Amino acid sequence: MKILIAGAGEVGSHLAKLLSHEQQDVTIIDTDADHLAALDSNYNLLTVRGKPTAFSAIHDAGASDCDLFIAVTPFETNNITACAIAKSFGAKRTVARIDNYEYMIRDHREFFSRQGVNHLIYPEYFAAREIVSSLRRSWVRNWLEIHEGQLIVVGVKIRDNSLIEGKALKEIGRDHRFFHISAIKRNHETIIPRGNDIIRQGDIVYFTATSEDIDAIRAICGKKKSVIRKCLIMGGSRIAVRLYRLAGDAYKFKIIENDRDRCEWLAERCPNANIVHGDARDIDLLLEEGITEMDAFIALSDSSEANILACVTAKELGVRKTVAEVENTQFISEAENLNVGTIINKKLLASAQIFQIMLEADSESPKFMALADADVASIEARPGSKITRAAVKDLKLSHDMTIAGLIRGGKGMLVTGDTRIEPGDNVVVFCLAGSIHKIERLFT
Amino acid sequence: MRRINYGQIARVLSWLLIIEAAFMVVPFVTALVTDGKDIAAFTWSGIITLAVGLAGTVFIRPSRNNMAKREGFLLTALVWVVFSIFGMLPFIFSETEPMGVTDGFFEAMSGFTTTGATVMESVSDSSHAALMWRCLMQWIGGMGIILFTLALLPMLNSSGGMQMFNAEVTGITHDKIRPRISQTAVRLWGVYISLSIVLFLLLILGPMTPFEALCHTFTSISTGGYSTASSSIAYWHSYYTETVLTVFMFLGGVNFGLIYKASMGQPATLWRNDVFRSYLYIILVAYLLFVIAIVAMGQYHDIASVTIHPIFQIVSTITSTGYTVENFEAWGQFVLALTFMLMFFGGCAGSTSGGAKIDRLLYLFKNSRNELYRVLHPNEVATVRINERAVPTYIVSKVIAFLCFYVIIIAVGGIALTACGMPIVDSFFSSFSCLSNIGLGAGITGYGGGYELVPDFGKWILSFLMLVGRLELFTVLILFTPTFWRK
Repeated sequence: MKILIAGAGEVGSHLAKLLSHEQQDVTIIDTDADHLAALDSNYNLLTVRGKPTAFSAIHDAGASDCDLFIAVTPFETNNITACAIAKSFGAKRTVARIDNYEYMIRDHREFFSRQGVNHLIYPEYFAAREIVSSLRRSWVRNWLEIHEGQLIVVGVKIRDNSLIEGKALKEIGRDHRFFHISAIKRNHETIIPRGNDIIRQGDIVYFTATSEDIDAIRAICGKKKSVIRKCLIMGGSRIAVRLYRLAGDAYKFKIIENDRDRCEWLAERCPNANIVHGDARDIDLLLEEGITEMDAFIALSDSSEANILACVTAKELGVRKTVAEVENTQFISEAENLNVGTIINKKLLASAQIFQIMLEADSESPKFMALADADVASIEARPGSKITRAAVKDLKLSHDMTIAGLIRGGKGMLVTGDTRIEPGDNVVVFCLAGSIHKIERLFT
Repeated sequence: MRRINYGQIARVLSWLLIIEAAFMVVPFVTALVTDGKDIAAFTWSGIITLAVGLAGTVFIRPSRNNMAKREGFLLTALVWVVFSIFGMLPFIFSETEPMGVTDGFFEAMSGFTTTGATVMESVSDSSHAALMWRCLMQWIGGMGIILFTLALLPMLNSSGGMQMFNAEVTGITHDKIRPRISQTAVRLWGVYISLSIVLFLLLILGPMTPFEALCHTFTSISTGGYSTASSSIAYWHSYYTETVLTVFMFLGGVNFGLIYKASMGQPATLWRNDVFRSYLYIILVAYLLFVIAIVAMGQYHDIASVTIHPIFQIVSTITSTGYTVENFEAWGQFVLALTFMLMFFGGCAGSTSGGAKIDRLLYLFKNSRNELYRVLHPNEVATVRINERAVPTYIVSKVIAFLCFYVIIIAVGGIALTACGMPIVDSFFSSFSCLSNIGLGAGITGYGGGYELVPDFGKWILSFLMLVGRLELFTVLILFTPTFWRK
């Protein structure tokens, strides 16, 4: 697939590296020559220097025959303009990163497709959604609903009080048949487990199950239900505002922000939240603002390091649930080992959504899960595609992917070796980084 | 830093050897259809190369298959050495004109690096197979061994392959023409092969036999300069052949990425390119000076002696091909001095030619001009602009470092050769000639080849210089720094 990326910022560069690793033809446009030189000499991709909104640059980069145009500069207006230009040259599909909730509303879709923008990605919005779902179920690390909750993927950290700790997958499969263990995240890497793999303490295990069995999974993992009401947010970022809007009255928010003007801006936008001016890294301030009474601590400041450390502090002060925004991908597994409850990364959210768009699936609802080195995708099996030709155990799938479940006729079900996938099924696939292109081949 | 992944390097090298063995089929077939000499030599060389390659691919199973910067440099440099080692086997096994290891390695390295210096005493007595192999080596080496394999092996279509591409392709910055490295390689080789086919068809229309035409196709588009006749191109006495070869040597000196873009319906890009324009201007100016010198020396005989002969000589020199016309010596010392100058220039970066490359000289020249201007206007901010883009200062300083190393290596190489007992002028000239991959010789070595008089140790030095020159210094020099090997 020929992919053009406008903007070599954090998200753009991350996408470019990832897609190049996925064997796609990637061309990236940016004005910063130094940044491009670093990408050009180290990755298998093409760079074009020029303004992402310039006709000449977009044309030179080959927009006329590109399959996917992704505009991820920091400004949404530039992104929309770039998409419109690319579309006018003949780009097949365009994606713009936006930062305005209004644009996501279904009624406005028509306007954007007239402008030549096919898909919108809004990482801040998805970050807020992810936080809300993690607050709702505080025992879960990651939560993903597929097809209106017909299938659910949950990531749970296993501790020594869990019933499945120390057991091999085939043993677990003998006792409990209502879930599928799709992936295990251990230390710095994600593995797609086989029957002989043993679940160890400290693993984050990804289960796929139907919604009625989720409580049973919680029980065997040894987790307790707890209701979260009061949340302390560190850093009044765009995600914080989005989170406030999305969560509504279900939670009571207190936002600590160290910039005076920003505090007033926040106060205007979040009337029911308490806004505190101060530095959230200061323990005295945290105690004064009642950290010990809080149910959750959400660190959303610009600094990943500060977010992680603040969460560790909050945990020590007795907060049950912590959420940290970690933008440095290499810190994610460190943060997980430090017991930060849920980790938010805009780059991963954006790239997971791009993968979903690449697989031509419906990208309006977030049917993806952002993991550092793996992806979950839900894809429709086309008639005649390779995946429908035999039962799952006879398909000889490569070891870096597994089929977790499928939705047939609007009903979610798990997949076993004997299941035969039918055309029209929506299949949930776990795959490790670098194998998305294999999936593409299986399903089309 | 991590340990260097030797296993993976050995494995890729083995793959490449299989490819080299496949190339050996060409001279083998040549022997079958022409004079039938040296069939055994090529059979054995092919079998040995293939066996080593297969053994490597079957038995070496590296635990990791990633390749980073260091593996890229090491592999690229090793490929050229290993190819030369196996490429010399036919010369050693040859019945018609057997060579020693020193001579064989020198000949093979000179072939792959498209230098064109030869130690064969009498080219016309050699077997057709051996001649074909020499020319084929230049053709493979011209575009690049790595570039060829990048087009073939999907396993190199990754960041590791990128590093190798950067280590092998000539020039300061390496322009890709397609996002994925294998596609870029396929297109560059596509241009190369298409040009070769056209050239071959044009050459057989002239006085050359198909065998000679194929050999000269291989050596002129690659700007290598091996010939099948001792007296080089002059042997055919054909203005037609000289004209055709001039055009294709000229093309061999142009950036192949540029030729690709121009042939894809954007011919204007060629003229808009500053380097290409400079390349043309240099040839034009040199032509005027050559004509003046020829007339002044009283060498005006017919119209050809002031048109095709000087142009042929200029293009052959600037592209580092190294073919010579009949009475080059009679044109005088001034022309010889100009020839040195042209040898130093070389063609455009990204072409098959050798030398310092016009791109670098253009950067250097514009930068020096800016510095001169700054003497009077110290506050002026002047940038080096090439192809309507300002060149960052770090690239300019990289170019200066390159030229600095270039001069140092010529000097050290020349001094080392005098230590072997060679006359001083010849020492420096052959050091310069081999580092620039031209292969012209002076003095004892005589025009148009004849390096057989150089002592054995000198041949090893010159072989090394050819490799350093072909990989544009840094790729090889970095291997001799302690930091490269430190864990």
